[in-house]
Amino acid sequence: MRVFKGAQIIAGTAVLALGLAACGGGEEAPNPAAGGEGSAAAPIVVEIAEPQHELVPGNTAETSGAEVLNALFIGLVNYDADKKPINQIAESITSDDQTNWTIKLKDGYKFHDGTPVDAQSFVDSWNYTANGANAYEANYFMGSIAGYGEMNPVDPDGDGPKAAPAATATTLSGLKVVDPLTFTVQLANPFSGFPTMLGYTAFYPMPKAAFGPDGKVTAAYGESPIGNGPFKMAKPWKRGVETRISLVRNDDYAEAKAKVEAVDFAIYTDLNTAYRDLQAGNIDIMDQLPAEVIASAKAELGDRYIEQPSSGIGYLGFPTKVGADYAKSAELRKAISMAIDRKTITEQVFSGTRVPADDFISPVVAGYRQGACGEACTYDPVKAKELWDANGGPQAGSIELGYNADGGHKEWIEAVANNLRTNLGATVEPKPVEKFATILDDLGADKWKGLFRMAWIMDYPSPENYLKPIFAANAGSNYSGFNNKEFEELLKKADSAPTVEEGIASYQAADDILLKELPYIPVYFYQTNGAFSSNVKNVKIDPFERIEIANVERA
Amino acid sequence: MSDTLTEQKPKSVKPPKQKKPASLWSDAWYDLRRSKVFIIAAVMIAVLVVMSIIPGLFSSVNAFDPSTCDLTKARQGVSGLHWFGTDNQGCDTYSRVIYGARISIMVGVFSTLVTTLIGGLLGLLAGFYGRWTDTILSRVAEIFFAIPSTLGALLILALVGRDNAGIWTVVLALSVLAWPMVLRIMRAAVMSAKSQDYVLAARALGAGPGRLMSRHILPNAVAPVIVVATMNMGVFIAAEAALSFLGVGIQSPDISWGLMIADARNRFLQAPEALLFPALFLSLTVLAFVMLGDAVRDALDPKLR
Repeated sequence: MRVFKGAQIIAGTAVLALGLAACGGGEEAPNPAAGGEGSAAAPIVVEIAEPQHELVPGNTAETSGAEVLNALFIGLVNYDADKKPINQIAESITSDDQTNWTIKLKDGYKFHDGTPVDAQSFVDSWNYTANGANAYEANYFMGSIAGYGEMNPVDPDGDGPKAAPAATATTLSGLKVVDPLTFTVQLANPFSGFPTMLGYTAFYPMPKAAFGPDGKVTAAYGESPIGNGPFKMAKPWKRGVETRISLVRNDDYAEAKAKVEAVDFAIYTDLNTAYRDLQAGNIDIMDQLPAEVIASAKAELGDRYIEQPSSGIGYLGFPTKVGADYAKSAELRKAISMAIDRKTITEQVFSGTRVPADDFISPVVAGYRQGACGEACTYDPVKAKELWDANGGPQAGSIELGYNADGGHKEWIEAVANNLRTNLGATVEPKPVEKFATILDDLGADKWKGLFRMAWIMDYPSPENYLKPIFAANAGSNYSGFNNKEFEELLKKADSAPTVEEGIASYQAADDILLKELPYIPVYFYQTNGAFSSNVKNVKIDPFERIEIANVERA
Repeated sequence: MSDTLTEQKPKSVKPPKQKKPASLWSDAWYDLRRSKVFIIAAVMIAVLVVMSIIPGLFSSVNAFDPSTCDLTKARQGVSGLHWFGTDNQGCDTYSRVIYGARISIMVGVFSTLVTTLIGGLLGLLAGFYGRWTDTILSRVAEIFFAIPSTLGALLILALVGRDNAGIWTVVLALSVLAWPMVLRIMRAAVMSAKSQDYVLAARALGAGPGRLMSRHILPNAVAPVIVVATMNMGVFIAAEAALSFLGVGIQSPDISWGLMIADARNRFLQAPEALLFPALFLSLTVLAFVMLGDAVRDALDPKLR
């Protein structure tokens, strides 16, 4: 579940307010990145936020930790410019029935400690992540593999008093090692997009050295992970204590060596501080800029400014089964959607860092159709009002707009509220809630009646990831209660197509059902706004919003 | 409260010294009329009060009408159409500042009323009866006094929750923590008045506690409370803005200066007007009440004469 709350944005603005009050200009903010090293071996410095956990692949489902792991590890596949998987460690990933997959590895890849990257290292790593007892963040990524259910029994009443039944397995029955360079994967259901998942952080292999005598991943490994990638740890990193993660080049790397000798990841709590350090040349790369500086950054940095579509989509969702009257009617949902002026909101509130959404599938993956949403996502206050009045909108009561107050959402929610008040003549109550989790819990308990804000970042570049986890009847992140037989059938058909490409038409047909029913209203697509200093060149950001660090060169 | 107060009006034009023996109140009023600080403060407060009662008099735009906001015109600077520019939602900052006065004034007035009535009454009882009445009331007051006021108000409002937050919860949160200050001042004033000769004389003539308190002690002990109440008004207005700024006080779509400042702070460099004008009005309002309190104290405190 990668619904996200945009915490980093608010962290930036809160500290900005303090900064304004405290210093008022002139002096430079304290710079955690300032180092005393000589210029010859000075590392390239990349801005990140503090990783959520120690650096273990299976326990990393957020972008900052993934950024570091991406330098330390490589996966079975990588992605080309069109977000299609290309084999990296994998020699081949094949299947006849889209359920039973055979993965063959190339020989010659080694971990930083010299042990070979073999089939067992993948299977061990995946099993450990899939084990519910370890409570790893990326646990649910293993959910498509056969045997996951036995390892992660469902709690019959959610967070209620009844305990979940004990797990009946500690390894995935779907994973089998055939020989040191071959293993097979049996999925629970056919899924042609399986190879696209395998480049993600959760699917990295871990060496034998990661596991202690008790079979658990050791604390020392979390501080100093042994990977198989172009960089290795220069020294262990203590989370919460040290604000820099230092990496040096892995000279035994099987592929082309990284272009720079050393990389430091500098941890910032405030994007504005980081941006000032970038301007001052203290850090070299940021993959995210504070919204306030976007306009000036474009002009100031020229081609050192990066702007590209990101995989995130922002929605407004409805509890379609248990919500208020306006949430239950597809026509009223459409009227609300048509009354929102997406273009002005993205321009004025987000300063152009978001673009109006017009599909449920993000532009970064194959299957996106420009303007697929059509009339429903086009701002038309007159038609919206007609539709609203004709379907009993005025009798549906006041519209609630729920959002989490800690994620920087107030401005756009208020703008939507003004749109709805003016265009539909409705009473609108924006409803800030302390934490996003509160809304999700209320939705889970059928207590939330009004609209709620929602966002999704893809887990892997496949149109399936924008449909099934959010809108399939029993999906983990289905908060709208959407349940449509035809939709399910189309997804099944698409998943069992021989290739992803052949499945796309069915995914799009399923997408059309969503666009007609609108259980969520797509509001905006996120953009990635990054920048780099004049010390470096060839900076690229991949579809997971990670910097392709091995290719970065000194300018 | 007392009949001596009513003497203010008819006799106020001429210096009253010759015609009638001067009371504390007539002397004070005489002083006040000659105080520049008082006149400036009074004019400012009068304007603010009118603004909060009939905002339409100052602004032709109804700030509560969402259709007057145009997002395409967000964060514009000062212009003939928008005197104070526009905010992040494209709403007219001038009309919002005008309409925002009401909540500030209401919170100030009602919090002051509640604290003065509760604190004043309990202070009178504590000071007059002394002994265990005083002990109990003073200890209870000290318990409330020990709670840091901003922290306490945050806690109360967090418990109340955003859904129920509004002007009355803010008044409640501020009053609950501020009444002990009034109690202390009233108690001290009553205790010193209680031992005065005229009180002892009245007691000797057989006056009961009710008569003693209302006719003899209260009129002579109320002056310091009035000074504190006037100054508190400004403090309460600033506190309301602070709580709204922190997100626990007044909630949108109600308009409060603190809320406007909070909304505008992230884009301060792009659109400083949206923050500066509500902040200016907030400062002026607080200043006006503090100045008024200052002038009243100068007039009422015999030691300063």
